[in-house]
Amino acid sequence: MDLFYQAAVASLTPAAIGAVGLGTLIGLIFGSIPGLTFTVALALALPITFGMDTVPAIGILLGTYIGGMTGGSVSAILLGIPGTPSSAATVLDGYPMTRQGRASIALGTAVIVSSIGGLFSLLVMIVSVNLVSKIAIQFGPAEIFALVLFGMSTICGLAGGSMLKGLIAGVLGLMIMTVGIDAIDGVNRMTFGTINMMQGVNLLVAMIGLFAVPYIIETFARHGRGETETNDTQSLRVELPSFGLLGRNSWLIARCSAIGTVIGAIPGAGGPIAAFLAYDNARRFSKKPERFGRGAIEGVIAPETANNAVTGGTLIPLLSLGIPGDPATAIVLAGLMVHGITPGPALFMQSEVQVYGIYIAVALAYVFILVLQLGGIRLFVHVLRIPPQLLSVVILVLCVVGAYSIRNSVFDIYTMAVIGVLAYALMRVGIPTTPIILGMVLGPTLENEFRTAMALSDGNWDIFYTSPVALLFFGLAALIVGLQTLSGLRLRKPRSFAETSNA
Amino acid sequence: MFKKLPTLAGALLGAAVFTAAPAQAEYPDKPIEMTVLFGGTANTIAQLLSQLMTEELGDPVVPVSRPGGGGAVGYAFVQGTRPDGYNIVWNSNSINTSHHTGKIPFDYSAFEPIARVSVETPALAVSNDKGWSSLGEMAEDVKGMDGKLKVGISGKGSFTHLTSAALFDKMGISDKVTYIPYGKGKAPVELLGGRIDAAIQWPGQFKSYADSGKLNVLAVTGTERVDILPDVPTAAEQGVDVDITMWRGLAAPKGTPKDVIVTLDTAVKKATETEQFKDASTKLGFSPAYLGSEAFGEQIAKDDAFYGQLLQSLGMAN
Repeated sequence: MDLFYQAAVASLTPAAIGAVGLGTLIGLIFGSIPGLTFTVALALALPITFGMDTVPAIGILLGTYIGGMTGGSVSAILLGIPGTPSSAATVLDGYPMTRQGRASIALGTAVIVSSIGGLFSLLVMIVSVNLVSKIAIQFGPAEIFALVLFGMSTICGLAGGSMLKGLIAGVLGLMIMTVGIDAIDGVNRMTFGTINMMQGVNLLVAMIGLFAVPYIIETFARHGRGETETNDTQSLRVELPSFGLLGRNSWLIARCSAIGTVIGAIPGAGGPIAAFLAYDNARRFSKKPERFGRGAIEGVIAPETANNAVTGGTLIPLLSLGIPGDPATAIVLAGLMVHGITPGPALFMQSEVQVYGIYIAVALAYVFILVLQLGGIRLFVHVLRIPPQLLSVVILVLCVVGAYSIRNSVFDIYTMAVIGVLAYALMRVGIPTTPIILGMVLGPTLENEFRTAMALSDGNWDIFYTSPVALLFFGLAALIVGLQTLSGLRLRKPRSFAETSNA
Repeated sequence: MFKKLPTLAGALLGAAVFTAAPAQAEYPDKPIEMTVLFGGTANTIAQLLSQLMTEELGDPVVPVSRPGGGGAVGYAFVQGTRPDGYNIVWNSNSINTSHHTGKIPFDYSAFEPIARVSVETPALAVSNDKGWSSLGEMAEDVKGMDGKLKVGISGKGSFTHLTSAALFDKMGISDKVTYIPYGKGKAPVELLGGRIDAAIQWPGQFKSYADSGKLNVLAVTGTERVDILPDVPTAAEQGVDVDITMWRGLAAPKGTPKDVIVTLDTAVKKATETEQFKDASTKLGFSPAYLGSEAFGEQIAKDDAFYGQLLQSLGMAN
């Protein structure tokens, strides 16, 4: 308690609180602008922290990380363009809600459940970091492979009208990610002898192409045909979700918080898989699953709760094992190390005060998010009053800048454009784009963990069926595929444009 | 994945301010772009170094991340720029390995060495329950055991792989080792989880585990001990004759004027002597190891032969 008091004194100075606030604001801004991502924001913030004291420096980094994770939902909901891979699942129902004029409810709900999910995972982390990190250690390559395969099974729920088309999309995603140097043997694959292809397709670049470019093309196409505004701006007003709405969904929020925390704690899994699993979970256990994909508020609550619950979960392996879960946490790790905090098992013995300081910074960041975002919604929704053809021009510029800034690569701009045009073509033939993102997110982990597992077992398959944890996830994956096949046989779902274009 | 936005701002600002300057101004008269090839520690050191060099030179040195292709993308970019000193690369042994594995069609001679900046020394850790306290004990046990020793590395052809190969060869157990490639710095955890028997990674990754007594770090592979793990002896101290460290430094495209190289060299020297740089080195787990342009060039050439041969013996040379 005494240590906690020391930490509180250090972390609650005006400079430290201001640092968290500034970080959160930076993260929110970068996260919510399509094309820019919080990984860029973190890379930008890191050198600034070199000259700062430890506590404010960590405050800025954690604030940016958490703000960015939350900010990603803004453009996902308003424009159907996710700001981070973790918010790709939010597009499915968040964007239809906007088209129905319910943008502010979706945004408000997203902010509130994000904070609930984040604080829940923080609590779990404080209480059980030792236990959870022990469990996380048990997740070897075979177990992670099984988990990721389970994640792949959620394609079933994202496929929309046609399972075949959903699978085509998923496999396309897997294939795109094999371009470049493979991480296991260092062999060039599908590089066609060019150095530029050796860098592979970056997930964020592809994401910008997949979601933003079709939006831009579609908007111009509509404008060219003389069609008018599709968003319902007549009824556009700022309306926040009621307590009743949140109360009705409290069980869903609890489930998704747990999913996010658990997935986050497993090294190498990360935010997108948690968001997709949570979305699938919400749809599968809903009384009216047919509402999903057409603006169901549950479809926003589930992924947004889960992807922020990941932040607390990810901090567990980051702090207790020193493993960053994704590129964003890798930058946070670098920032901690520069300030003499070396994550790992010794951290909790040597630097307890700093650990408490980190907890306080995370909690503060969520307070800032609530205040900034709930205020910000009043501004954000006015974006919808901008004529789409003008907005598209701005988005186009941001996407080009964004795609370039991820790796300072001009080639990435071309990659984004090519993927974008292909994505538009796929959309026209009714192939959904979300499973592509899912395939891309999970593909490298799926392949690398499989190959590492096979190397561990010396080519023996029994590594996969002798692990109870792996068997559990294989079973769950089989169950989902089985259930989907059954319901597919029973009824053929009606198709709609909204479903195929955004699902 | 890592990028620098200040770059953009800096570059635009620089361009705006200096376009009016006369053409024959003294170097540097505009921002210098430092291409960074990797994330993680490499990126963090580069960001710090560029800040310190900026203070020395007066004009901004801007780190620009161009990752991918195991460094090939960034090397190719800088190699193709004008040799005027405004594009430099934060290089490492990867210039040797990228060339010999056929990732880049040119070798180290496409660049002028500026200065070596730092050295990182790989460390070998084993799980506690093996009961090994020295390389000798380990070698003896491994020679007598059934099956193979599972060793975690960062990927085939990675620096940790090459180090392992050279070390185990000298220990006489190279035929008893099988390599398990991991990404994302997971080797220490895999060691803790008991799925592998040993791992070669960077000292910073083992630091916390060693402090808490969860893993046993047997050796570092350089000729000197590392500050972050002062109790860990070198392999040479234990009679295993290896000296493998990863250096990092700066290079410019071939043909960059001599006086420009000297200016940069001096700035690097001063930057590496600052307290801030030394302080960061202990925290991040690298050693400041300034070496002037000429000596640095000799080391690169020497290493090139060494890694060429090592990769050849592993069947990975192109």
